[in-house]
Amino acid sequence: MEKTKRIVKLTVNKEIHEIAINVNRTLLEVLRENLSLTGTKESCGQGACGSCTVLLDGLPVRSCLLLAIEAEGRDITTIEGLSKGEQLHPVQDAFIEHHAIQCGFCSPGMILTATAFLDRNPKPTEDEIRHALSGNICRCTGYAKIIKAVKALADSRR
Amino acid sequence: MNKFSLIGKNMRRVDTTSKATGEAIFSADLILPRMLVGKVLRSPYPHARIRNIDTSRAEKLPGVKAIVTAKDTCGDKWGVFRYTQDQQFLPTDKVRYVGEEVAAVAAIDEDTALEALELIDVEYEMLPAVFSIEESLAPNAPLIHDAYPNNINIHVKIDVGDVEKGFQESFYVREDTFSAPEDSYFQGEPYAVVAHFDHSGNLEIWMPNAGPHLKAKPLSNVLKIPLNKVRVRKIRIGGAFGGRSEISPADTICALLARKSQRPVKIVYTREENSVCTRQAHSMKVKIKTGVDKEGRVISRDITCHMDGGAYSSTGPIAVSVPFLCMEQAYRMDNVRYNGYRIFTNKPIRGMFRTHGRAFACGVDLQLDMIGEHLGINPLEMRLRNARQKGDYTPTKSYVASCGMTETIQKTGEMSKWNEKWGKLPPYHGIGIGCNSVQTGFPMGIRGGSQAFIKFNEEGGITVISGVVDNGQGNDHMLIQIAAEELGLSPNDVQLINADTEVTPSDPGSYSMCETFIGGNAVRLAAQDARKKLFKYAAAALKVDCSVLDAKDRKIFVKDNPNQNISMSKVVRMALSRGEAISGEGSYWPKVDPRREWVENPSGQLSETFSFGTVIVEVEVDPETGQVKVIEAWASQDVGYALMPVVIEGQFEGGLAMGGQGGMLTEFHIWNDGRVLNPTQLEYKVPLAIDMPKINNIIVETIDPSGPYGAKEAGMSIAMSAAQAYCGAICNAIGVYMNDFPLTPDKILKAIEEKKGR
Repeated sequence: MEKTKRIVKLTVNKEIHEIAINVNRTLLEVLRENLSLTGTKESCGQGACGSCTVLLDGLPVRSCLLLAIEAEGRDITTIEGLSKGEQLHPVQDAFIEHHAIQCGFCSPGMILTATAFLDRNPKPTEDEIRHALSGNICRCTGYAKIIKAVKALADSRR
Repeated sequence: MNKFSLIGKNMRRVDTTSKATGEAIFSADLILPRMLVGKVLRSPYPHARIRNIDTSRAEKLPGVKAIVTAKDTCGDKWGVFRYTQDQQFLPTDKVRYVGEEVAAVAAIDEDTALEALELIDVEYEMLPAVFSIEESLAPNAPLIHDAYPNNINIHVKIDVGDVEKGFQESFYVREDTFSAPEDSYFQGEPYAVVAHFDHSGNLEIWMPNAGPHLKAKPLSNVLKIPLNKVRVRKIRIGGAFGGRSEISPADTICALLARKSQRPVKIVYTREENSVCTRQAHSMKVKIKTGVDKEGRVISRDITCHMDGGAYSSTGPIAVSVPFLCMEQAYRMDNVRYNGYRIFTNKPIRGMFRTHGRAFACGVDLQLDMIGEHLGINPLEMRLRNARQKGDYTPTKSYVASCGMTETIQKTGEMSKWNEKWGKLPPYHGIGIGCNSVQTGFPMGIRGGSQAFIKFNEEGGITVISGVVDNGQGNDHMLIQIAAEELGLSPNDVQLINADTEVTPSDPGSYSMCETFIGGNAVRLAAQDARKKLFKYAAAALKVDCSVLDAKDRKIFVKDNPNQNISMSKVVRMALSRGEAISGEGSYWPKVDPRREWVENPSGQLSETFSFGTVIVEVEVDPETGQVKVIEAWASQDVGYALMPVVIEGQFEGGLAMGGQGGMLTEFHIWNDGRVLNPTQLEYKVPLAIDMPKINNIIVETIDPSGPYGAKEAGMSIAMSAAQAYCGAICNAIGVYMNDFPLTPDKILKAIEEKKGR
């Protein structure tokens, strides 16, 4: 096992981390276990649920399906990097305001997916929002308030 | 006009900012110094005798710090009830399902722990196994537990009135059978436990739970340590839906590993383990015979229900009873007989679920539709004619103190334009209705009530201490909202310490929908107690009588002259200077019949009050593919009083998604000889955002006489009635009554084909 360890340089939330990891470690494992960024959640571990979503150069990826070494040289954003100090990101604020969060386990992944989506499509229809968020499973809300939060934020920017 | 400052108003929940930023810590996120990774070795066989377990090879693996087997336990069997003690958390004699815990390892990392599991040699003697109710009940079927003849775990028998006479007097009688396989919770958070023993023998433990005190006492029992040494700590919980009410073998195993290694241990379940080795919902087969008069009113009903309980009792007596009780609460009937059987099989263990018994609930409702069709009465009218009313007694003798069932039916009917749609929709379009009712707590003996404390600091801020747990539904905020309302504070002035068994008093837990009614009432009483003390000092300072005072915006003032006031902090300081600290204590024990027992005596007040809900949905079925598109849904529940309407809407929407969209269209487990073939979200289809229809929420308020501000519970009746509404709408769309749920495209297509062939 030790032989396969490699030093990787990861840029996470604008911070550079040099860490020695086994090459088979997923980005999810490294974020949670090496960097203590536990806001990124594991729910299925096989890319089905979207709970472990992080942004890679601004695009959502499932960190459970990505090896950490594949993220080298890329710009990684986790939920911890979305707010700026005490200032919440507008998507976080909209999720709180519109009660899009219940148990909160899927929220980090859902918020990051919504953030990347709104960056690409600032004026979406409700149908487009539903499609964009359908890779993220929420078991509590029935999605109604999540869709509402994203729609309200997009509408407020018009 | 709402006379409250906070109650009945929408506001940001206190817990959601931390959840939006990644700050919220769930059990798997905990990191403690020197923490080890725990992994569980599970049975590969559905039924086998354990001949020997040899851990010597695993023990020699570098990095392994502790291994536990049945030898490390006291060997006791555990059960929720005295008469259901049948499960050892590490079995000594045999395994009874694929996935049952056999041994566990704590090691320095996950790879080492997994490698060690492979080095444990278990000698099994295979035994014949049974995988269905029919196989289990067959003569000469292998016995799963020696103490339960014929593999019958529980038999609940209820017989009220004269059922046979009722059928004789009925204008129309029909009998139908309905069935459904197992479904699962799929909480976002897979089960996880962190346990730590200190050298004084104190256990500190974190896990998702629906009642920390419901975890602490069994842990104390099976670990043979005093209850005050078991400290179940508060942690964020990623959903429960009924699946996290009981002690889990993982709790005990993690504690045993922590004790043996004298280091913190964390066990995190995989998704597969969460699906197979926690709890599932029962599969069931239910025969319903109903007799009605000419107007469609139910005169007599006879129900026989068989539930596949899996390998152990779990909450068996409750699970067998609840589908029936929900039905008897929702609908009036004078004569009713119920025979509910929970049968052991060599399959994973079944427990409570947000949608109790879809075959049962949908069967009762669909049969009302069938009867209505025979009599020429539309389904909505059938519900109105049979709806439970305030002041009634249920057949098993629960008084119904408040009831908005009729109003929920009428309002959903009006808003959905039922009368304009029923019988007038285009081909393969349908509309359906479902009604249900749930409890707000059960008789739970000494665990049935909740107690709360409040203490003031000298600035006028407070700390609320309560045993209530939040699984994500918003209980933390509910407690804070109530305390702040009573004391004229803002939620920001309130700190909450809850769901920690060392610090907080006992509480029944969030299962059985009792937290608002029981825990909320306790906090309200504690706040009123503190207010009384505050007002005593304020009255003296303002030279008025206590009775003319009120509190708002951190001030105590004279109701008729708000300018005559004194700040909260000044009052607290006055009290402190005279040697009294301002605090409050409240406890609430619901008025239930303590003699009521699930099997022995299923009669008497079950719950102090009940919620009532109606769902209507409109669907379109594609006759070529059998796919169902849900066009729109209308959900209504009598919640008593809406403490925070937006939170209640969220419960309605989530309940509709799980009970209706998932529960009636896509969710079920697939099996091969006791092995779950679809344990993850890749194959088990839970609803996605793209699947969900527009949901219209209709909150009905009946102001319950005992609930806090009249509140009851916030949405469980919706989950159940949604399944029924989906079912009715699809059957209406295709013109065939289907009796095996969920209604997947293959079954729908087959029904359409069969109808064409007729």
